[in-house]
Amino acid sequence: MSSTHLLGPQRFLTTAGAVVRSLDIEGPVATITAGWEERESDDGELDTVLDGRSQNLRLFGRMMDVLEHDEAVAAAALALRDAVDDLAGLYSIRLHHALDAVYALRRRKGREDVLAAASRDGIDAVRRLDQWYLDEVRALYSEAYATGAAGSSELWAQHRAEVGELLAGSSVLAVAGGHVGMLLRTMQFFSVRPPVDLPVVAWSAGAMAMTRTVVLFNDFVQSNGAAEVWDRGLARVENVVALPHARRRIHLDDRVRMQVFVRRFEGSACLLLDDGAKVAVGPDGALPPGARVIRADGTVGVVEAAA
Amino acid sequence: MTSPTTTVPTSGHQRKLAINRLRDRLATSDSGAVDRFLQRHSAPIIEGRYATFLWRGEAEEVMVRHRVVGLPDPLHLRRLADTDLWHATIELPEGSRVEYQFEVVRGGVREQYLNDPLNPRLAHGPFGSQSVAAASGYVVPSWTLPDPEARPGTIDSISLRSKALRREQWVRLYRPARFREVRRYPLLIVHDGDDYLNYAAAKTVLDNLIHRGEVAPLVAAFIPPGNRLVEYANHAPHARFVARELVPYLTEELPLIDLPDGRCLMGSSFGGVASLSTAVRYPSVFGSLLLQSGSFVFTDIGAEHGGGPVFDPVVKFVNGYRARPRVVADRIYQTCGIYEPLITPNRSMVSTFRDTGMEVRYVEARDGHNWENWRDRLRDALTWIFPGEQKFVYE
Repeated sequence: MSSTHLLGPQRFLTTAGAVVRSLDIEGPVATITAGWEERESDDGELDTVLDGRSQNLRLFGRMMDVLEHDEAVAAAALALRDAVDDLAGLYSIRLHHALDAVYALRRRKGREDVLAAASRDGIDAVRRLDQWYLDEVRALYSEAYATGAAGSSELWAQHRAEVGELLAGSSVLAVAGGHVGMLLRTMQFFSVRPPVDLPVVAWSAGAMAMTRTVVLFNDFVQSNGAAEVWDRGLARVENVVALPHARRRIHLDDRVRMQVFVRRFEGSACLLLDDGAKVAVGPDGALPPGARVIRADGTVGVVEAAA
Repeated sequence: MTSPTTTVPTSGHQRKLAINRLRDRLATSDSGAVDRFLQRHSAPIIEGRYATFLWRGEAEEVMVRHRVVGLPDPLHLRRLADTDLWHATIELPEGSRVEYQFEVVRGGVREQYLNDPLNPRLAHGPFGSQSVAAASGYVVPSWTLPDPEARPGTIDSISLRSKALRREQWVRLYRPARFREVRRYPLLIVHDGDDYLNYAAAKTVLDNLIHRGEVAPLVAAFIPPGNRLVEYANHAPHARFVARELVPYLTEELPLIDLPDGRCLMGSSFGGVASLSTAVRYPSVFGSLLLQSGSFVFTDIGAEHGGGPVFDPVVKFVNGYRARPRVVADRIYQTCGIYEPLITPNRSMVSTFRDTGMEVRYVEARDGHNWENWRDRLRDALTWIFPGEQKFVYE
């Protein structure tokens, strides 16, 4: 596995160009800016940052082209989106009740060992719920692809081949932030799988898309106070939950909430990607020393160097 | 009403209210003291938890008129010493917003519905304007004000021939910015549509919240009433129009999510009754209801409801629903002003709704039965009903 670099937001502190240059690899840099949706092609500034080497894969524009010209694919895509939205709504109802139960248990007073066991099992119930949702999403995708709409569209196949060629001819892949749902949707739509030896630099939503489990979060908006699992990412980085804009979106000082969060995603590092963050993930998927994470006790800490 | 010697804490020490300091000064000051006082202070004077209403002019009687439950109405002002300045001080809890007018008796003539000439702040509604007393802590939410960065949606007027209503019915149709036929949009149907647009800044609110990603891009149908007190008071033809004519028409013409949870019906006051009664008649059409200060007047014992004849069909409907509560939508977002008389029936309806199994979110605000109250609650309501993509966006 070649290098994967996960970065924080690039709006105020641009580090992507320096990281790409530090790789010391010549050749074109394939870029994915589908998370910008309609603004996908407004990538002049990014091209400058990448020393004029960028080649935008235009995944959003290509997907719109397919959907606008192929009614069967559009109908299948809309049906899939409706079904996923419906499923997400059901998941959200169950999740909020399950998490409410966990927090209610954490507020209770009583015999500590009994409370701890109840709390552990409550969080396990949330983990099972997350897994159920991800399995159902997979099933819906499988069902949609089984309809055959994908195989019957020449336009889709043509775009898919072009994307594959561009990617194969690139030295680096840069994945920008934006709408993580659209980013994942377009990457799945064109089966984007960066080769293992292709270095990847990804930031914000792009970094989330590189992980196995994509988690949506914003503690400060009423309607979605609970973090929700959304979909599987490319799983180029295993065992990491990427949390861009953590300071702006998470109650990091709420120890109980953070403890529940970490326990819920136990087995993965909850990686904070704030402005300026640069995390070079090793070939073994390990996070480097200094990477900021939420610890099991609910505090923020850094990954220590191996002894 | 508080005593004239009330003090207000300022930076750790108690300070007399401005009106009381003026009274103290009057003994030794010249006749221009009141002029200077009014130049220094806007009205009403907000000092901590207190609001002092002011009126200047010769009169036999000066009163503040309002509809705030808990405050005396009329609220009589007193003349300050032998000046022509009248005043009354009340406690106004933090974050409150109160609409009021003056009533004055001059030369034996009673003048009513006078806005406060010393207060430029006005709220507008279908029956005219009212002066506004905003307590400390209340600020007009930024998302209710035009944002040049927010791409505007469009509003088109369309007309439908309604068999149910036996007339042409106008609908103002809101499409969000970047409207695309290949997308699917939730549908929000708004009773008293023109009033929501004109007095609750509904278009600006939608533009801003959609722009910020807090609310999903949606299509909204703003419907103005015909004979409002009849059609909104549990009226079968109105419900049929909304559920069997308007929804199918819009679903046919526009790229809408054709599922109940993609639809919300909303309204305030009698519009809340219209929303609920439509959902009762057609329980599988709307996934969500947004009920603002619903006129859910009912009687548990006896027949006196105090609302007059126009409320008779409302009371009959609400009594009937309370006798046989049932699921009419998946979710209800219900709001009411703490200062309005409808607070009691609204609080009572919360458990009635919840006990059916519907998911209910209920919010109270220190405000009254007015359009700015309903405007200020829209963000929390709409982000709950149709959450936007903000949770997906990590730039």
